[in-house]
Formats: sequence, structure tokens, C-alpha cells
Amino acid sequence: MRRSHTAVVERNTTFDSDFATEPFECAWAGEARWFIRVLDMAGPNTRLSARAQVSPDGLNWCDEGSRFPEISEAGLYTLPLRDFGGWLRLDCQVGGREPAVKVLIYLVLKE
Amino acid sequence: MTSIEAMRTALIQSDPRLSKYNPLPRILCFDDFDDGVNGWTELLGNHDGDLDNVQPDRRDFRPPQISNLTFFDVGSHGAMGGNYALKIATRPRPNHQATVCKRLMWAGAGQVQLETYFTFKAEATFDREPRGGREYDGNYHPSEADFGSFTIGNDVSESEDGPRYHCVLRYVNTDQDGEFVQKWFSTTSPSPSTKALVAGEVKEVPDFHVTRPGDWREVPDSYMPLCYNEVPTKVNWHYLRWRFDLSTRRNVELQINDRVMDLRDVPVPVRPDPYWGLSRLLNFSLDVRTHTDVRNFLYADSILISVDW
Repeated sequence: MRRSHTAVVERNTTFDSDFATEPFECAWAGEARWFIRVLDMAGPNTRLSARAQVSPDGLNWCDEGSRFPEISEAGLYTLPLRDFGGWLRLDCQVGGREPAVKVLIYLVLKE
Repeated sequence: MTSIEAMRTALIQSDPRLSKYNPLPRILCFDDFDDGVNGWTELLGNHDGDLDNVQPDRRDFRPPQISNLTFFDVGSHGAMGGNYALKIATRPRPNHQATVCKRLMWAGAGQVQLETYFTFKAEATFDREPRGGREYDGNYHPSEADFGSFTIGNDVSESEDGPRYHCVLRYVNTDQDGEFVQKWFSTTSPSPSTKALVAGEVKEVPDFHVTRPGDWREVPDSYMPLCYNEVPTKVNWHYLRWRFDLSTRRNVELQINDRVMDLRDVPVPVRPDPYWGLSRLLNFSLDVRTHTDVRNFLYADSILISVDW
């Protein structure tokens, strides 16, 4: 049976500007899946963009190459990843005029 | 020593994973983090299904991680045994605390012991102004002053009639200004209940373990500089053995490496109200707290919990 772990890296957090999730160690895992559960998007033309980033050390980051489709309404969105090395985070851009995006973000890891 | 005790001792001492521990007669858990988090999960305050209603001081204790202790300069350190350790990490925000807990029950009102090999580190930073007034000198690295504190604790509830109490012990490495303290402290008030916070009976404080911010008392004769090993990327594993007694509702002792502190006279605050639905509760907590905008980390190679019942 393969080991697995789900981390809630943001919980009902409201963002009004760009942000990155906290560094998360995942060297033991062979596959990962991000979930963004958007609870609320306030403000005209509010958008959330999120791309996966990887790191050799948890300090310096680069794009992994995968990204969520641009999010413009509440709902559940997901992004699978493989071959990501030892660290993962999401780099997120919040667009729109006076935007507010309330989210839960989950990282699901599996051997 | 009886022949049965001698046999047990021989078995433990011949097992490379257990021989570094000193368990009480019954091992409840041996948590090797090469196998995952083993029940050490993020602590989260109570709620009614609406996560907006989690009280602020217990809303963001961060998920535990399984770490191979990889650093920017040397790569992977690995754990004391095997590759992986449990990692508890704060956000890079002053007074942020990360807390994990393990939830058990007790089957006898006797002694309980938690042992672990642990290490603590502040995240490596670059071009940062040193705190605490000490510059890098080749042997001293300012990173050591970026580490705030770590804490071990329990949560014991006996019945619906009470009592419920927490033995809580915090190693304070630095004060808020980055000056070294390096002593142990115990709480003088209990962690407020969600019910008391919701009712406004207690004002929320930015320190989950106490009712008021300053409610910590120095453990006598507890000055204990611990090996940080100079830079933020060198790891040495400290032995910790903490024993408490469910029959006296007190700590018994705390051992860190070769130092043993007798804690039987340290008062343990009791919550003012009994609690519904918590009969025989026996929880353990580990947390780490930063005083500045640098992430602080607490790692455990493995954890062994044993009892005398």
C-alpha cells in the first residue's frame, strides 16, 4: 500500500494581492495533486492564476511548467504533477479591480 | 531484575531502532517518520463546520511535513535514522506558531513518557541584519538568534466531571529582541477553551497555550544552551525524554541529552470547566514559534510513547 499525505496549505484565506504558498517538502512522493477550492471571488473581473513552482532548497524557486487554467468563479480546481523533486509551492496572481479571493488550497502527495 | 525484565531489556537494546530509547514497560507508539506522519497532525481549533469560526489563535498551525532535511549548501542531511523526519514549520511572520498533535486515550492513570530525537533550526537567510547584537565571527552564526522557541505539551481530560489540564514545557531560545534566554518555562494558566473565546469570557491572545500573554514561569535551574552547531544547515539530534503522571496530574521529569530536570513541583494549571465528550483524552503536542520574519523549524527523527499501565 502506498503512503500518501494531504496538507491543507491555506484554509479559508482571503487574498487581495499576489501570493505564494508556503514551501512544502515532498521528496518522498512520486506524484502530487493540487486542489484549489475557491469559496468566494469578490470585486469586478476578479481572476486567480496559479502556477506550480519547484525548488532545490525551499529558498529559490522556478516554474515547473504546469499551471491552473485562469479561475474566475467559485468552484473546485485541480492540477496533477510528477517529477517535481523535493519541494513544491504555488505562485499565484490575483487580478481585477479591488479583488478578494477566498480559498482553501490542498496538496495531495502519494508515493 | 527479573528474567522477564532482563529479556525485555535485551530485546530493546538489540533493536537498533529502539535501543536509543528508554521506554516504560508498555510501548504505545513508535513513530518512525520514514513511514509518514504516524498520527501527528495539524492542530486546529473547534468550529461548527464554518472554518471562518475557528478562533484566530488556533486557525493556522500549519500542516506537518515529511522532510529529508535538504539545505541549499550541502543538500540532503537525512534523519538520524533513515531518510525522513517529521518537520513542523512556521510562517515567516513574527509570533507565528506551528503546532502538531497526536491524539490517544489513556487506559490507566499511571505514568506516560514521550521520547524523541529532535533538532531545531531557523531557515537560512541571506543579507539579513543580525538580531541580538552578534555578528558572524566564523564560529557564531546570527541564524541562532532567529530561532524563537519550541514547546512540548499534553492535553489530558479525565471525565465529563473533569478535570482537564495541560502540562506544557517551552524551551525559549531567544526573547522577542533576539537576545538569548535558553531556559525552559511552564505555563501558569491554561489554554483558553473555544467556548470561552466564543463567549468573550477570555480575550484572544497570540499564544495558544496560555490565557494571558505573560503566563509563563521559568523552570528553576533550567538554563540550558543547546547545540545549534553554528550555521542554519548543520543538524545534530538531541535526545528528549519527558515523563508525566496521570495520577498526580503533574510532570515528573524532563531529560534533554544528559540533563534531567525534576518537574514534580512545577504546578500544572487546570482548566476551570469540565468538558463534555473528552473522557480519558490523552493528546500530545509539539510546536515551534518564531519571534521574527524568519521561518522556524522543529524536526523529530522518531517519537516513542510508552506507559507503565
